[in-house]
Amino acid sequence: MTLTASQAPAPPGRTAPPRRRGSAPRRAWRTFSPYAYLAPFFTLFAAFGLFPLVYTAYVSLYRVELQTPGDMQWRGFGNYTALLGDEYFWLALRNTFTIGVLSTVPQLVMALGLAHLLNYRLRGRTFLRTAILLPYATSVAAATLVFAQLFGSDFGLVNYVLGVVGIDPVDWQNDTVASQIAVSSIVIWRWTGYNALIYLAGMQSIPNELYEAAAMDGASRWRQFFHVTLPGLRPTIVFTVVVSTIGATQLFGEPLLLEGQISGGISHQYQTLGLYMYEQGWGFFHLGRAAAIAWVMFLLIVVLVGVNALIARRRSRKEAGR
Amino acid sequence: MTAPIAPAAASAPAAPATPPAGDPAARRTGRPRRGASRAGRTLHAGPVAYTILILAVLVSAFPFYWTIVAASRSNADLAQVPPALLPGPNLMRNFEAVLEEADIGKALLNSLIVSGSITLGTVLCCTLAGFAFAKLRFRGRGALLAVTVGTMMIPPQLGVIPLFMLIAELGWVNQLQAVILPGLVSAFGVFFMRQYLVQSLPDELIEAARVDGASTARIFWSIVVPVARPGMAVLGLLTFMAAWNDFFWPVVALTSSEPTVQVALRQLGGGYVHDQSVIMAGTLLGTLPVLLVFGLLGRQIVGGIMQGAVKG
Amino acid sequence: MPIARAVKRAAVRLGAVALTGALLAACGGSTDDTSSDGAGGKVTITVDLFGSFGYKEAGLYAEYEKLHPGVTIKQTDTEDEADYWKSLQTRLAGGGGLADVQGIEVGRIASVTQQQADRFTDLRKYGADALKDQFAPAKWAAATGKGGEVLGLGTDVGPEAMCYRTDLFKQAGLPTDRDELAKKWATWDGYLELGKQYKAKATGKSAWLDSVGSLYSIMIGQEKERYYDASGKLIWEENPALRTAWEHSVEAAKDGLSAKLDQWSPAWNQAFAAGSFATIPCPAWMLGYIKGQAGESGKGKWDVAPLPGGAGNWGGSYLAVPKAAAHKKEAYELIKWLTAPEQQTRLFEKQGNFPSATGAIEKVAGAKDPFFSDAPIGKIFGDAAKAAPVQVLGVHDQNIAQQITNALSEVERKGTSPEKAWSNAKKGVANTIG
Repeated sequence: MTLTASQAPAPPGRTAPPRRRGSAPRRAWRTFSPYAYLAPFFTLFAAFGLFPLVYTAYVSLYRVELQTPGDMQWRGFGNYTALLGDEYFWLALRNTFTIGVLSTVPQLVMALGLAHLLNYRLRGRTFLRTAILLPYATSVAAATLVFAQLFGSDFGLVNYVLGVVGIDPVDWQNDTVASQIAVSSIVIWRWTGYNALIYLAGMQSIPNELYEAAAMDGASRWRQFFHVTLPGLRPTIVFTVVVSTIGATQLFGEPLLLEGQISGGISHQYQTLGLYMYEQGWGFFHLGRAAAIAWVMFLLIVVLVGVNALIARRRSRKEAGR
Repeated sequence: MTAPIAPAAASAPAAPATPPAGDPAARRTGRPRRGASRAGRTLHAGPVAYTILILAVLVSAFPFYWTIVAASRSNADLAQVPPALLPGPNLMRNFEAVLEEADIGKALLNSLIVSGSITLGTVLCCTLAGFAFAKLRFRGRGALLAVTVGTMMIPPQLGVIPLFMLIAELGWVNQLQAVILPGLVSAFGVFFMRQYLVQSLPDELIEAARVDGASTARIFWSIVVPVARPGMAVLGLLTFMAAWNDFFWPVVALTSSEPTVQVALRQLGGGYVHDQSVIMAGTLLGTLPVLLVFGLLGRQIVGGIMQGAVKG
Repeated sequence: MPIARAVKRAAVRLGAVALTGALLAACGGSTDDTSSDGAGGKVTITVDLFGSFGYKEAGLYAEYEKLHPGVTIKQTDTEDEADYWKSLQTRLAGGGGLADVQGIEVGRIASVTQQQADRFTDLRKYGADALKDQFAPAKWAAATGKGGEVLGLGTDVGPEAMCYRTDLFKQAGLPTDRDELAKKWATWDGYLELGKQYKAKATGKSAWLDSVGSLYSIMIGQEKERYYDASGKLIWEENPALRTAWEHSVEAAKDGLSAKLDQWSPAWNQAFAAGSFATIPCPAWMLGYIKGQAGESGKGKWDVAPLPGGAGNWGGSYLAVPKAAAHKKEAYELIKWLTAPEQQTRLFEKQGNFPSATGAIEKVAGAKDPFFSDAPIGKIFGDAAKAAPVQVLGVHDQNIAQQITNALSEVERKGTSPEKAWSNAKKGVANTIG
């Protein structure tokens, strides 16, 4: 059995102390026992993590119906070419994009602001942090059911408040933009506090010397924020953007439960890719087509993450060269 | 299938080039080391800052308050203009109704079984694997770790079709193990425990036990687990909350006759019950357990999230 | 390490909470743990239905349990049939979680006989052959598989009529007598004309009918051929009768006659009590909904008149026993009893679900319902049932109907042009069937 620190190479004396040489079977066990520690995780991982992911690509090349999953007919790229000509797919892609932007941008900007405030010396620091994280404790389903009530067209609180201010009732279900705002607001509510804490953690790991130096140069709070905090946070920001993008790509529960409709509104006006995949698979029972959508989502995520990483690297190189 | 917790520590591979400041202990907790780090941040919050923060707290809390209001009223109250803003007298009646009509009781029990099993299993599997990755040397370690970390960012939703075909093949549709077993797979957890053990378990400790002739299994139970316990607790907390709130996969794999809380809520939202105040009572019941955990352990959850974040 | 201690303490507390919860749950769970076969022939038969079958409300389960000591019946119900069907298909595919008795809507029965005959019990095994003469021939034939398998027993049929609110009619100065109304709305044009009059005079937020989707559904129910022809070919796009139903629905939407509600949605549920609409096209099974949603306070405010444009049928159901059911024999005995003429008669009298058993149809001929102002529902629905065409059924009937009503909702709620909505319907159908 060889123990070693993960980062530093093992000192030579440690590998094989003479008195612990042991018999051949014992030595064999020493070589293989680490795998025993990995076995539980990797068995499950292979069966329920990796296999489904890879097999999705395979399924997407067949016509498979939910009622007869054993009966697979080869379609080649038929499912993908069908998607290209499928208006609802493009609509779902567009909705995913617009809802993604509508939910991610305000969420991260507000989170950044909140983190900045939380980074001050505060009374009741713990309370404030815990309280803004509260929405994170709710499930998509619970949050959406509550927001669906608040956004009700006839009896909803939001329209009532708008009415008090003199704004006509908004049709939060059937209007394209309004319904997407409604869906986004649920996402924003649930995740802003979470991201604020991530940013806060990032801010706290920025070396103080940088602030001290900036303060000595007479930089104001705002200048400090823009010239010390933001650059220091870049890796964290990139990370949250990536994670939020992935989250937005697979948005599902919010659009499903806003009206309880699998089509994401009567004109599919807020149907996301995640929901469209579900509709194809478990609404229309076309598992093969649903798999093709899943695979497209996967590629989309890979591309988005790649683009993000690229931009991040460019920018930091540019700044390093400055 | 517990996606939402994965993000926190995933920044590690994304940004390995920027090690955070501070000693390992400070990194782990996400708090600045006492004393030393305050200098640059002694800015006291002004009234504006407090106002904005309190506003944020109110926005965070309002939907909870409103759920209680709606759950304690009647269908007719909710169809009134102006809407009611204070709690009414019907809370117990609505609880009874939703327990009767939607079998929320069974859903709560199922969720407890599912989330509890996933939490225990995940913490165990991840600690074992995390230990191996952190402290044992074996062939293919780098590759296996890379695969684990690499898939951390991939949403499990994407593998849902074959997974469904798999459980259909096994005859597991509408059975709890269909949700529990896939829920045990947490690449994030393995990575989290590995990082934790790399930082908090000195090699000398293991070395000393090894010299005393302790087997690896013995070392794991009597040295690794005690040291890892705080990390396991944080992982357990995050896993429990994520498992309780998981939506997509349970909705696919289970139905209303064997629901988790989230499946029951989806059912409630689909016109299963006609009375809106009863629906809100169900929502409240389904959220209470996590709120309870949050109330007791909010600080640790905050710490866990921030700690995961700074790991990168 | 104070942090570690805090987390440790937290872990202990969390453990305590979880343990308490588990214990509580275990205690709670043990009390109703009677779902499997116990000693002494105790059986729990599970019944999974959609919409409003009304067995529980009519006290039929309680009576069956009394007649068969040791039998407990447990029913689950999903209001929206589309949701129910999805869930049923998922469970059929996975073989798990199926109830002993599953309800099947008539719009899905062709899918069962043509595609899934192997997933359901052939009831001939238990002697269902002998029941054939009890049922209307068409009802029986529709649930018979290619090899003569009997895959379900008919419950109700859906003869169509028009339900309306006499109090709202009075307020708007319209006649409330059902015979007079029947004359005024002998045709659909007459019905829509009356709707315009109502709209002009009605107070508050009350519309003429609940949704144009329900108008379309009731009109298409008057046709023999709807989506498929007798040879099984899809004809819906060219079907002139379908176009007529579509155009009338579009007209109603344009004239603002509808309350724009989504049938089976929470808002639709709320609207019954709120009086948001004055008429609702009602197949017999809708009576149960109206009673349930409007509640006691609605009694006497409702009435039923014969349908504009002649007789038709919308819906009706079957009870089937999946092959994966745990108690097939017991399930068969139960559905045999529930669909027997005596029980169908009583169900109609209490809930309004119109019998598919020939013997029962004669028995209910004189039935009246006080909730609906003592309307002679036995005669109205009985006449409709006799005159209604025997419909050609197809595998995707329900899916196609759903896409069309969805497109009509776009016209109604978003002002989408009818041409665009029609092309949306075509795309939706292609997407569903594809």
